[in-house]
Amino acid sequence: MLNFNSPIIDTKEYSEIKISEVEPILKINLRGKNRNFITKIGKELSIITPVDPNTSSSNEKLNLLWLSPDEWFLYSNDKIGLKDFYLLEDRLFNEISKVKLGSVTNVSDHWIMIHLNGKKVYELLSAGCPFNFNNFKNSKGAVTQTLLNHIDVIIHNKNTNDLNLFVRRSFSAHLWSWLNDSARFI
Amino acid sequence: MFLINCPYCGQRDQSEFSAGGEAHIVRPKQPTELSDDQWAEYLFMRKNIKGVQFERWNHTHGCRKWFNMVRDTSNDKIHAIYKMGEKPPIK
Repeated sequence: MLNFNSPIIDTKEYSEIKISEVEPILKINLRGKNRNFITKIGKELSIITPVDPNTSSSNEKLNLLWLSPDEWFLYSNDKIGLKDFYLLEDRLFNEISKVKLGSVTNVSDHWIMIHLNGKKVYELLSAGCPFNFNNFKNSKGAVTQTLLNHIDVIIHNKNTNDLNLFVRRSFSAHLWSWLNDSARFI
Repeated sequence: MFLINCPYCGQRDQSEFSAGGEAHIVRPKQPTELSDDQWAEYLFMRKNIKGVQFERWNHTHGCRKWFNMVRDTSNDKIHAIYKMGEKPPIK
């Protein structure tokens, strides 16, 4: 995070699709199983921890995504300063990892966030994704982990035709190329 | 290609999953007391039935959780899906 080098740094616009990379932002992976862990996350982040599959919770600054029954993904809405980032990470580490409630892992450099919006965004995703977006696109806050052009992605439905897509850093340049190439033909 | 109903995430395409082989194979309690043949039997020998088979599957590109499935290998019809540690709903 100190020497963050984005692999993409770009914004592209096509007819009714806009694709842009949003970096650097805070991303933290949270893992834990017991009820105290779930309560503690909610208390520290002032967010109700989503326990229903494929859902998320958000406040002004942060989003908490359900990944599996014992795993959550936290990311910030905006590009934040290093000071805020370290304070939040330290607080979570002290309150959760240190007392062995669960694990807190900084994955800011591990994932790249790509913001997609526009009327044809689901047509673009459906071009390379086995997931059925029919219910997903009407559920604000819905989350899914799936494959896009054979690459693992996390997709968060922020609003109508407004998505955040997370891809592993090593695959990000390839996925970026695929998104842009596909968007030209949608 | 077929759809699998992940017990955690819901219905997804088969391409998101990985097959993990036969289910309900119990690890011997005292492996050191087994002969080589018995150990090989536990470690390598699988039924590989043409018909209804109990299998382990992993939602690799989703929640990454393991679960069990009762599947007919001849036509990919899924008879039951249940979580790890649960008893098979059908015999």
